[in-house]
Amino acid sequence: MPSTWIALALGCLLVATGCSDRADGRGPITLVFKHAKILGPSDPVPGLLREFEASHPGVKVVAEALTWSSDEQHQFYAVNLEGGNAGIDVLMLDVIWVPEFARAGWLLDLTPFVSPAELAPHFPAAAEVAVLDGRVWALPWFMNVGLLYYRKDLLDKHGLAPASTYAELLRQVALIRSAEGDPHLDGFLWQGKQYEGMVVNALEGFWANGARVLANDGAIFPEPERAEEVLAFMREVIASGVSPAWVTAADEELTRRAFQDGRAIFLRNWPYAMDLFGQPDSPVRGKVGIASLPRHAHGTRGAGSTGGAHLGVYRHTRHPEAAAALVRFLAGEAAQRAMAAGAALTPSRMDLYRDPDLVRDHPSFPAIYALALAGRPRPVTPYYLMISTMLQPEFSAVLVGIKTPRAALLEARQHIEHLLRTVR
Amino acid sequence: MTGARRADRRAALLFLAPALAMLAVVSVYPAVWVFWLSLQYRIPIFDVARFAGLDHYLFLATDPRFLNAARVTLTFTAISVALELALGLMAALLLRGQTAGRQVALSLLLVPWALPSVVTAKLFEWLYHPSAGLVNFLLGGQSHNWLGDPRLALPAVILADVWRTLPFVALLCYARLLGISPEIYEAAQVDGAGPLGTFRRITLPLLRPVLLIALLFRTLDALRAFDLMFVLTGGGPANTTETLTVYAYRSLFQTLQLGLGSAIGITVFVLVMLVAWGYLAALRREAR
Repeated sequence: MPSTWIALALGCLLVATGCSDRADGRGPITLVFKHAKILGPSDPVPGLLREFEASHPGVKVVAEALTWSSDEQHQFYAVNLEGGNAGIDVLMLDVIWVPEFARAGWLLDLTPFVSPAELAPHFPAAAEVAVLDGRVWALPWFMNVGLLYYRKDLLDKHGLAPASTYAELLRQVALIRSAEGDPHLDGFLWQGKQYEGMVVNALEGFWANGARVLANDGAIFPEPERAEEVLAFMREVIASGVSPAWVTAADEELTRRAFQDGRAIFLRNWPYAMDLFGQPDSPVRGKVGIASLPRHAHGTRGAGSTGGAHLGVYRHTRHPEAAAALVRFLAGEAAQRAMAAGAALTPSRMDLYRDPDLVRDHPSFPAIYALALAGRPRPVTPYYLMISTMLQPEFSAVLVGIKTPRAALLEARQHIEHLLRTVR
Repeated sequence: MTGARRADRRAALLFLAPALAMLAVVSVYPAVWVFWLSLQYRIPIFDVARFAGLDHYLFLATDPRFLNAARVTLTFTAISVALELALGLMAALLLRGQTAGRQVALSLLLVPWALPSVVTAKLFEWLYHPSAGLVNFLLGGQSHNWLGDPRLALPAVILADVWRTLPFVALLCYARLLGISPEIYEAAQVDGAGPLGTFRRITLPLLRPVLLIALLFRTLDALRAFDLMFVLTGGGPANTTETLTVYAYRSLFQTLQLGLGSAIGITVFVLVMLVAWGYLAALRREAR
C-alpha cells in the first residue's frame, strides 16, 4: 500500500514542522487564508495581507483562492474540514454556512478573542448570523442584500415612483409596456433556476407576505396560505408574461445582463450589479434606480434577503491567536474601507456607508445602507442548506407549472420533517 | 494441467500482483468504504454517526426523488447513447467518403471532444439562451425556453451530450473503417451488391466489435453523467434533469448526508457493474 506510506510520511513531516514551530515559539509562522476570488477593479487582499504581516512580525499569510462557484466552495470545505486534513487557518464563508460549520465543529470559537461590542458596528442581520448558542464563530466581512432595480428613465417618463407593492408593480409594467410598445421589453426579472438563489427569491416573497419557512418553535411553513399565495404569484407573473419564461432557468448574471441590455423594467438582484450598470459602455448607464423590494397584500413591508461572507478560523489551526488577529484585522474598519474602494463589494460595517470618500465613488451607498439595515437573514439554522436543497425542486416545479403551490409546500414539508426526524 | 503450465500460471500471477495490489488500494478499498458508509447514518453537522443497516436502501426504494432520478438517468442514457452511435457512425462514413480536406475535418471533429465538459456546458448555456442564443435564432427567432421548460430541458441536455461525445464514437468507427480492406468492397461490387447491401452485409458486421466497445464506454459514461446537467440546469427545472449522480452529489456534499449519498452512489455503482458485465459477456461471445 504505497499511497498509505506516502501519506504517513507526509503526515510525519507535517507533525515535525508543527513541533519545530512550537519548540522555539518565536519562529515565523504561516497562516493559510482561503477565500473566493475577489471581483472588481482591483483586488485589495494582497495589499491588506502585507499590511497585516508588517504589523505582526513573524507571521506570514498565504492566500489561497477557492473555486468560483459557491457549491464547489462548500464541497471543498466539507471534504477538507471533515477529513481533518485542512491546511487552512482562516476561511471565508458564505453567511448561510456559519451556523452549519459551527455546529459541525469546524470553526474555532472566537468568543475569547472578540469583545461583545465588536459585532455592534456591523449590520444586525450580519451580526446575528455570526452567533450560535451565545458564542461568536465568525466576523462579517462583506454584506449583500436583495433589492429592486428599476429603470428610472422609464418610470420618470410615465410619472411613476418605484412600486411599493407587487400589485402596483404589475400595473406599472402593464402601463409602461403598452405605452412603449416594445415587444422586447420585459417587465420583471428575477432568479428562478433550481438553485439557492431561487430560494432567496421565494423567501423574500414570503417575508413580503408575512410568511416564513421556519417558526421559532421549529414549525415548518407556519403560515401556509400566505406562502401558497406567494408561490402562486411567482408562477402567475411567468404565465402572464410579466416575467419572461426563461426566468425559470435564470441566475443572477443572466438577469443582470438582460437588464443591462435595456430589456427589462424591473430586476431583483444584489448590489454588485449597480457598479456594472454604471460602467461607461453600459446601455443603461444613469438610467437605473434602486428601491426596496415591494410587499405583498398580507405583508407590512418588503425586505431583501441578506447575504455576503464571513471570516472564520479553522477549529484545529495551530495558530489560534494569529488567525483570530487576522480575522479581526480583515473585518476591521480600515480593511473593509480598502475592500469597498477596490472591489465590487459592499461592506458589513455600517459607518462606511457614511464615509464621504466612499460615497463619492459609490453614490448608491446611502440607499444600499437603508436597504441592508432593513434586510433579513435567511433562516439562521445549521439545517439551512439541507432545507434549501429540499425546497429547490418543489418550488421549481411550481414555477414551471407542473405542481400546485399547495402540493409543493406539502411535499417540501414532508421531506424536511423526514430529514429532521432521521437526524434527531 | 501440466507442471509447466502451472508454473506459468504462478509466474503470471506474480507479474500481475503489483497491478492487482494497486487496483485493490485505489478502487476496491474506496468502494468497500463507501458501501460501509451507506450502512450508516452519518451526518457530521448533527454529530450523527450510528448504524443504519439497510435503512437508506429501504428509504430509496420508495423515495420519489430517487425513482425520478433513476428514470432520468435511464432515459438520458438510452437516448443519448443511441443518438451518439447512430450519428457517430454516420460521421465516420462521411469522413471516409470525403476526398479533400479530410485532415481539417478530422481536426474539427475533435474539437468538442477536446473541450472540458464544464466549458461545453457553459457554451451550451449561451447557445440555449432564450433571447440571445444561437439555437432559437437558427429556429427562426423562436423563444423556446430550453433550460427552463420541463419538457425541453432533458432533450437540451441530451443534445449537448451528443455534441460532446459524438467525436469519440466517430473516431473509433473511422479507425476501424480504415482497416477494412478495399478488396472486400471491390468483390462486393463485382457480385453486384448495392450501397445499402454493402453497408448491411459488410460494413456493419465488420464494425460490430468496435460499435460494441463504443456502446460500452458511452453507456458507462452516460449512467454516471453529472457535469453537463449540474452546470446547465442544476438538475432543474423541478428535477427533470436530476440524474442519480447529481442526487448523490447533493446528498453528499450539499446536505452532508454521507450515509444516504453513499447509498445512492452504491446503486449507481451496481447499475454500472451490471451493465458492464452484460456488455463484456456480449463482447466475449463476439470474440469467439
